[in-house]
Amino acid sequence: MSHKAAKIGLTGLVLALAFGGLLYSTLGESAQYYKHVEEVMGQPDTWYGKPLQIHGYAKNVTRTRDSLKYRFEMHSKGQVVQAFYTGIVPDTFKNDAEVVLSGTLAADGFHATSMTAKCPSKYEPQALGTAGGTN
Amino acid sequence: MAGLGYYLLLTAFVVCAYAVAASVAGARRRSQRLIESGVGAFYLVAAVMSVASSIIVYAFVAGDYSIKYVQRYSDSVQPLFYKITSYWGGLDGSIMFWVFLLSIFGSVAVYINRERHRELIPYVVAVISVVQMFFLFLMVIHNNPFETFLTESPAEGAGLSPLLQNFYMAIHPPTMYTGFVGLTIPFAFGMAALITGYLDDSWLRAVRRWTMISWLFLSVGLGLGMIWAYEELGWGGYWGWDPVENAGLLPWFTATAFLHSIRVQEQRGMLRVWNVTLVILTFFLTIFGTFLTRSGVVQSVHAFGEDPELARMFIIFMITILTVSFGLVIYRLPLLRARNELDSWVSREAAFLANNWILLFSAFFIAFGTLFPTISEAVTGERLTVGEPFFNKWMLPVGLALLLLTGVGPLLAWRKSTVRNLRDQFLVPIAVALAVAGTLVALGVRVWTSGICFALCGFVMGTIGQEFWRGARVRQGATGTDVFTALIGLVARNKRRYGGYIVHVGIVLMFLGFAGKGFTEDEQVLLRPGQQAEVGDIAVRLDAIRVTDDGQKQMITAHTTVFRDGEELAKMYPAKWFFRKHEDQPTTEVAIRRSISEDIYLVLPAFNLEEQSASMEIVVNPLVNWVWVGFGILALGTGVALLPDTVFAFAAARIPANAVTTSLLLLSLLLWPAAVIAQTGQTVAPRERSELQRRLEGEIMCTCGCQQIMGSCQMRPNCGHYDAQNVRLTGYIAEGKDYDAIKASFVQEFGGQAVLAAPLDQGFNRLAWLFPYLAAAAALIGIVVTARRWSRQAAPAAPDAGLDPELSARLDDELRDLD
Repeated sequence: MSHKAAKIGLTGLVLALAFGGLLYSTLGESAQYYKHVEEVMGQPDTWYGKPLQIHGYAKNVTRTRDSLKYRFEMHSKGQVVQAFYTGIVPDTFKNDAEVVLSGTLAADGFHATSMTAKCPSKYEPQALGTAGGTN
Repeated sequence: MAGLGYYLLLTAFVVCAYAVAASVAGARRRSQRLIESGVGAFYLVAAVMSVASSIIVYAFVAGDYSIKYVQRYSDSVQPLFYKITSYWGGLDGSIMFWVFLLSIFGSVAVYINRERHRELIPYVVAVISVVQMFFLFLMVIHNNPFETFLTESPAEGAGLSPLLQNFYMAIHPPTMYTGFVGLTIPFAFGMAALITGYLDDSWLRAVRRWTMISWLFLSVGLGLGMIWAYEELGWGGYWGWDPVENAGLLPWFTATAFLHSIRVQEQRGMLRVWNVTLVILTFFLTIFGTFLTRSGVVQSVHAFGEDPELARMFIIFMITILTVSFGLVIYRLPLLRARNELDSWVSREAAFLANNWILLFSAFFIAFGTLFPTISEAVTGERLTVGEPFFNKWMLPVGLALLLLTGVGPLLAWRKSTVRNLRDQFLVPIAVALAVAGTLVALGVRVWTSGICFALCGFVMGTIGQEFWRGARVRQGATGTDVFTALIGLVARNKRRYGGYIVHVGIVLMFLGFAGKGFTEDEQVLLRPGQQAEVGDIAVRLDAIRVTDDGQKQMITAHTTVFRDGEELAKMYPAKWFFRKHEDQPTTEVAIRRSISEDIYLVLPAFNLEEQSASMEIVVNPLVNWVWVGFGILALGTGVALLPDTVFAFAAARIPANAVTTSLLLLSLLLWPAAVIAQTGQTVAPRERSELQRRLEGEIMCTCGCQQIMGSCQMRPNCGHYDAQNVRLTGYIAEGKDYDAIKASFVQEFGGQAVLAAPLDQGFNRLAWLFPYLAAAAALIGIVVTARRWSRQAAPAAPDAGLDPELSARLDDELRDLD
């Protein structure tokens, strides 16, 4: 193997290792399971405390007076989970809205840290109908 | 009409097929007649698509609700402007709009290059036609925009959600599409070069300009999307790494890489395989982005719904693109060998290479993150997602590295930099960066990533300033003019280089804005009238919550006063609007007070009318406006780089010395008021006192729901609302208030500008935002026109007046040395 090829190979290896290591560690921190309500509620206790995104349809939306504390049910295929969220909700959030929540599941329900709601129409592909709850 | 439209699509498909067959056969048999017939067919597609487009636009305007697409995306009360823009509103129409744009662009590109790149043209026609055929095929068998209701057709359309009837929403998608579609042209030329084997640099020259134009549209489109998110969505941010946003960003990265690596091939004959690869990748990513948003492969909240069949067709098309194009690259590898090797890592080509790697890495990384749910599901069976923090963590260092290279690249010499010229070149930029860093440390800036970003911004500005200064000095020495003229002459001699530097200035400004994000302050509070909340050094006091109605919607407006250090800064009115027929889906109307240093951003997410309490989100966003200004400068720089040679040559050679200084002054005068408006978002209405009442009746809405101005309310004379308005108006006039004050009183009383027929509304503020760009464009046009006029007056026999050949040769040498 020539000198040059060795140098290139070594550089490539170091870069690849560094990249892989960083990717692995950051993915571990930030990856979340993406589940529909019925998948999670089949065996809820296995999901307690895990980073989770759940997809479902909001029902019985209520808000505690004088606060931004929302309480509602997430429905999907006959399964229901109680959900809690504090913060600004997207304009499209209402009863029957298709919603993706991220947060963690506990015995009393799903505690969401951010909420994304489906755009009202498929009008605009580049539109972002998100409201980062933490922003 | 719908039937005709459908037949036109079919016709376009057939004509496309003929164009492919005729031009390929013509090229192989060297039959000029066949080639010309293929090109003719190609133009014909553009004509057919134009007619089909006018049919669908006509259907929207006339309200032909027998067409499903029209019924679904419009209704009769929609303003005309939004009826027209509904054309590209849905999936089917957007595909048709895509083909329409592609046929127009393709025809223009073929027409311009038909003589210069004669050997490539037949294959360019063939490649573009194949792409058109794919999309036409989709429409004909799967997504026909002209599909009609088989039985009874509804009398009224479903209408668009009011959320989407918005100025930015109307212009952002077509801007993005233009960028996406435009990138097909470089791909077609690249493929034609590969097929014919004419792989010298001539195909690059043909596509440089197209890539730049498409890149400009893509950048502006991304910028508009960011502004829309920031102003309309009410979460205080402008970028959330949503799959659909990412889809637009992917080709932007590869196109940026391509624009840089073109320089290396031109200058050093290197990176030839790389350039072809980038062109292919860029095109692939535009199709991939379209696929992401339309197939439902990734879970995005605003993708066009799931459609496995469409997904399958897209996947087949994408695989075909990759196999055919990379197959051709491998086949042509012997012809693509580099003419030179990399001499040293301390050289400009190495910097370009590093920049390319990082840009490509960014594209792949973002594609990886976007597809991660799909990948993880395929590998582990569990769907895992990654969100904003993940992207931010990775893209922050990547962005800073790119910013650093923006500053380093221009300082390095081609081939190899010596130690001496390194010292010579880096001294000033590093000094600037250190000065910035020192100031920041002295000020006690606590966010170190932002600190690094500011210092790097200083470094890049130092580099750019030095480049302009040295270039201008050399030219001044050679021509003996004043420094401004020398500067213009310099830019004119190498528009692409100095236009590129201006683009870099825009990028630096954007990074300033990004760095400002580190200092965002954000507070959610509950306020009752009279109470105030403090965020940083500002305080927000709630004065009242008012309910008003303009017939179209009910508006709940929080009246607030913002103070800084005890002094009143502004009155702000965040609101929630409840549109008729959409009461369960209020729109949040953010109130923003812009300034160069920061935005104060108020949101009213919830309220309680009985107790007059409001939950409010108060956000202070430092430096955010520099992101938008950066986009403006970027557009300006690209414009400079794109100016035709002839125009600039006139200006460079013949403008009298002081003319440049004068035009610069004019330009700054033009930009000045625009800047003021853009920064404050406030406008002053013209003053007039004659026939006050009649005039105001023509400008203030009657509130009875007739949606008419007071002067023409249909319900009169029995309209209670009209009477009430009239009492108010005459009362104000009796009080001696003038026109502005009366309008202001109405706005105050009704809690919003909707009471005005032509509101001083956000609509205008938005125009004000466009204004700097328009002013810049107007100024440029002005300069060009003046330059042309002067050049006509000059003696025709002296093509290079004021520069004798010897001098100009010396200048060329000196400029070359600088490179």
